[in-house]
Amino acid sequence: MLLLDGALNVIAASTSFSEAFGMAVDAAVGHPLANLGAGEWRAPELHALLASTLTGPAKTEAFEIDLQPAGREVRRLVIHAERLAYLDLANVRILMAVSDVTDARASERAKDEALQQNMVLLQEVRHRVANSLQIIASVLLQNARKTQSDETRDNLKAAHNRVMSVAALERLLSTSEGGKVEAHAYFTSLCDSISVSLIGETDQISLAVEGDDGSVDARVSMSLGLIVTELVINALKYAFPDGRRGKIAVEYGFQGPNWVLCVRDNGVGMQPAASDRTGLGTSIVRALANQLNASVEIAPQSPGTAVSIRHTQIALVKDKDETAATPQIAPPAPSSALVGYSAKE
Amino acid sequence: MSAPPADQARKTLMIVEDEVLVAILLRDELADAGYNVLDLTDRKVEAVAVAKESKPDLALVNIRLAGHDDGIELAQHLKTLGIPVLLISGQVSRARSAQTVAIGSLPKPYDAADMVVAVAYLLARLQGDHSLPKPSGLEVFEDGFDLAPAA
Repeated sequence: MLLLDGALNVIAASTSFSEAFGMAVDAAVGHPLANLGAGEWRAPELHALLASTLTGPAKTEAFEIDLQPAGREVRRLVIHAERLAYLDLANVRILMAVSDVTDARASERAKDEALQQNMVLLQEVRHRVANSLQIIASVLLQNARKTQSDETRDNLKAAHNRVMSVAALERLLSTSEGGKVEAHAYFTSLCDSISVSLIGETDQISLAVEGDDGSVDARVSMSLGLIVTELVINALKYAFPDGRRGKIAVEYGFQGPNWVLCVRDNGVGMQPAASDRTGLGTSIVRALANQLNASVEIAPQSPGTAVSIRHTQIALVKDKDETAATPQIAPPAPSSALVGYSAKE
Repeated sequence: MSAPPADQARKTLMIVEDEVLVAILLRDELADAGYNVLDLTDRKVEAVAVAKESKPDLALVNIRLAGHDDGIELAQHLKTLGIPVLLISGQVSRARSAQTVAIGSLPKPYDAADMVVAVAYLLARLQGDHSLPKPSGLEVFEDGFDLAPAA
């Protein structure tokens, strides 16, 4: 901190100024600012700033200059200068505060560089993950193409779709911020992919995604995506035998921390024994739902089947009757704009 | 699986991909869909030689190639030969930086069936047919498209 007169002579200097710039207070006081040190305080831009403070707006804030002390690195300084107002109009005084931000700026630069390097590494990891998933998916599908067994082919294609479910998430995560995934975009991408590979160009079965806007953590969305994949594959496999036409809807809704995911079809309905099925797909759905602290409910429809996965973290209070009953989350609100997918499209 | 329209049935494609398992599956899927797929290549020099000899209607090019070759450099070269390029790489940001040399990008990991649909869409676009819906996941680079020759 320096106190200057109208001719920019130093009237007083703080100890901190003396320590920061390596000069005794006595060596500064009474001398022109331009003569301090080895002349580095003679910088034209600094004097222009102070001249402006003397005659202009009386206050200059956060003006940055570079100072080149003799034999030392360039220092980055932030200058605050203020003309003091008091009754002695004949003697102008300027209070000048000088902050040396060289080290702080270097630290910020180092942090920015580290951040940038991390981003490059993250991109490289994502690229490698994408490449690895592509290879795994290719091997599975190639094996499915070559096998003579229908059952093996179905299993390999199901495995391929599971990999592609994870791949769709990776694709969305690579462009998302904060590790969150837009649910509608994710489920739509999944269903597009399943439609292309399992339904083909026939218009026998349509696959639609219905739900509100909302985003999900990457970890949760990975499990939800795999559940959707399993349930849709299951519906395609069992609900529409003999070329039966129909529709599969993937519905979801969020309310605070609670959510519900439902895959509904209008097919032939589940046989009583089938609800106890313990195939790989069913096991995966139950295991993932359990991991998400969610329940699995299978309900017959007229016609078809609806499988709902519900996660209730907070019991919502609606009215007294409902409070007394089993806590339930609100059903998913119907989408105002149904974004459907028909394989024919 | 989406078969190409009849007038595109014998369009010729070239795949330049350093992951052989990925390349083989792509070749088989596209061949099954009715395309003539040239011998697989994974390096720039080989790819340019094949392209000059066979003049494919569309080249599917990965950005990372064998021998540290770069797919975007190859795309620039193919563009001078009048061959449109679809980038098929997981390096999304690099692919986007090549919007003037490629006509699109379908980033890894993609489904092989999606690739067949994307190829049909791009070949139709090259012929001025805008009737097909743009496949999800496919990024179309209009700048590259405007400069690409008709397939």
